Amino acid sequence: MAAPGISVLESTPPPAPRRASAVTRAIATVAVAVVSSLFLLFIVAPVAGLVVAGGGRGLSSLSADSELRDSLLLTAVTATIATLIGVVGATPIAYVLARRSFRGRAVLSAVMDLPLVIPHPVAGIALLLVLGRGSPVGGALYAAGLRVASSPVGIVCAMLFVSAPLYVSAARETFARVDARYEWVARTLGDDAWRAFRRVTLPLSARGLVAAGVVMWARAVSEFGAIVILTYNPKVASVLSYDRFTSFGLSEALPVAAVLVLFALIPLAALRALRGGTA
Amino acid sequence: MISLKGVNARAGAFSLTDITFDVPRGAYGVVIGPAGAGKTTLLETISGVVRATSGRIELGGDDLTHAPPEARRIGIVYQHAYLFPHLTVGQNVAYGAADGAMASDVSARFGVDVLGDRAVESLSGGERQLVAIARALARRPEVLLLDEPFSALDPRTRNVARRVLRTIYFERRFTVLQVTHDFAEAGLLGDVAIVLDRGRVVQRGDPEEVFRKPASPYIADFLGAENVFAGVARPIRAEGPDWVAGDAQELIQHAVAFTTGALAFYALGDVVPGPTHAVIRAEEVSLSAEPSMSSLQNQFRGTIQEIVPAGALARVTVDASGTPIVAAVTARSVRELKLQVGGEVVVGFKATAVHLC
Repeated sequence: MAAPGISVLESTPPPAPRRASAVTRAIATVAVAVVSSLFLLFIVAPVAGLVVAGGGRGLSSLSADSELRDSLLLTAVTATIATLIGVVGATPIAYVLARRSFRGRAVLSAVMDLPLVIPHPVAGIALLLVLGRGSPVGGALYAAGLRVASSPVGIVCAMLFVSAPLYVSAARETFARVDARYEWVARTLGDDAWRAFRRVTLPLSARGLVAAGVVMWARAVSEFGAIVILTYNPKVASVLSYDRFTSFGLSEALPVAAVLVLFALIPLAALRALRGGTA
Repeated sequence: MISLKGVNARAGAFSLTDITFDVPRGAYGVVIGPAGAGKTTLLETISGVVRATSGRIELGGDDLTHAPPEARRIGIVYQHAYLFPHLTVGQNVAYGAADGAMASDVSARFGVDVLGDRAVESLSGGERQLVAIARALARRPEVLLLDEPFSALDPRTRNVARRVLRTIYFERRFTVLQVTHDFAEAGLLGDVAIVLDRGRVVQRGDPEEVFRKPASPYIADFLGAENVFAGVARPIRAEGPDWVAGDAQELIQHAVAFTTGALAFYALGDVVPGPTHAVIRAEEVSLSAEPSMSSLQNQFRGTIQEIVPAGALARVTVDASGTPIVAAVTARSVRELKLQVGGEVVVGFKATAVHLC
């Protein structure tokens, strides 16, 4: 019998420790870790293997292999031009999608996403249909001295088509993160809409827009499917690596592919630096 | 001058409906209302941030209903300041300033001149609000819109900021419309009070008038009136047109007997005879040990239910014939009358202190 003043708790024993669930949790943790590691390995192994196998040879052949050098230069220049055109043309669209509510906004948004879901060779065929020499637009451009297909212009067009939606999406998100009231306050302080955008929204969005541009540039550099349809020659780096693979086999394609991977690390590093700055 | 006539506006799912009021040139208007009443949306509609779908907005006598914000000669200060984070404090104040001297002057007056080179991120909430007020004033607006600008300030800084703003206001005589949910602040600052609820103006007028004579029991409750009673009004001396029992459309002004539960008391004023509400500010209710021979027409003996001290004052709730009546008395009165819960006391108020609505 319990002493007076002492609570009797026998009738409600404490719940048994849930050992089974702790073991299950541990197994689940290990399983998730293993699956995640395998996934990480799946991503890293081919890239690392490629760089290890062909990186040294690729870098050393840069001085001797003028075709590789020219293709890298062509890739960088066309990707930069495509990105600049995308930034100029798509920034207003991204801003409008982020700020304005209007009829047809969902349709515009879907249109901007369309190139993301089209297989890229199909995108190339579509561009060829519109901009090829046999089309009214392509014919008119050709007559005016501007050849689109099988020219650097075609490369820029293909890069722009497939990579601009990434810029629009990222830029739109960037604008949406900047509270519209900053702009409105600037407007009450005397700025018109454009001046408020230039003095307030643009500086507040600058880092995000640059990051969006870097993403677009990186995507443009890595494009193959649309470019190969529209402009096989002159060859950008991705087309060159494909060409070397089909013409000479894996060993000749390796150095080009490895250099292209190293080339792609540039925007990746820039992006990390920008995001690090944001954080 | 701010003049809104039948203004309707929509911001997301929220609507302002048929907003009509005037704040004369150089007057200080206050917008009062509970959270979600549409106070900020109202300021944004006046400033052109939210577009008016119909009605007319006049500022300084000009129809600016469809004018962009930059053409309205206004300044707006949000509760959250919205200082430009990529600029320093000094650059923020100078952003839209009429001239450099003006920016320096208001910065010095609000004590933010010493923060000139500081980054906005390093400021406290109160400092941000002061900088935002200085920034808006540096532009020399004709109309200043303030959205709870003192809410992040500590009591001492709040008083200083209010005083500085009042000084500049009296010097320049611009028109102000300030949102607040603090009626003490509204009474302290305002020439015109606008009570907003669920996107509609439910009362407007002199703040003292709104405070003493709320248009509805809801407004009375929102404005902090403790004694709001539902009951029946019955005229007891016809001074206006003859009143016929049951004719609720006939509005007459005369002495009224108001009955709530087992308690009946006298009131004066305009009333539609029949079911209505009576509002008595706690400050108008007095307590005494014995019935006094003063001009108090309503005196009842009751039992003290509760005494809530609040600094120099105390809120005393007295049960009078089953109706709880709250009196605001000084702590000294509580001591001198030896008031204690369960004790008996006489509660009294004038008929003119009763507002029927």
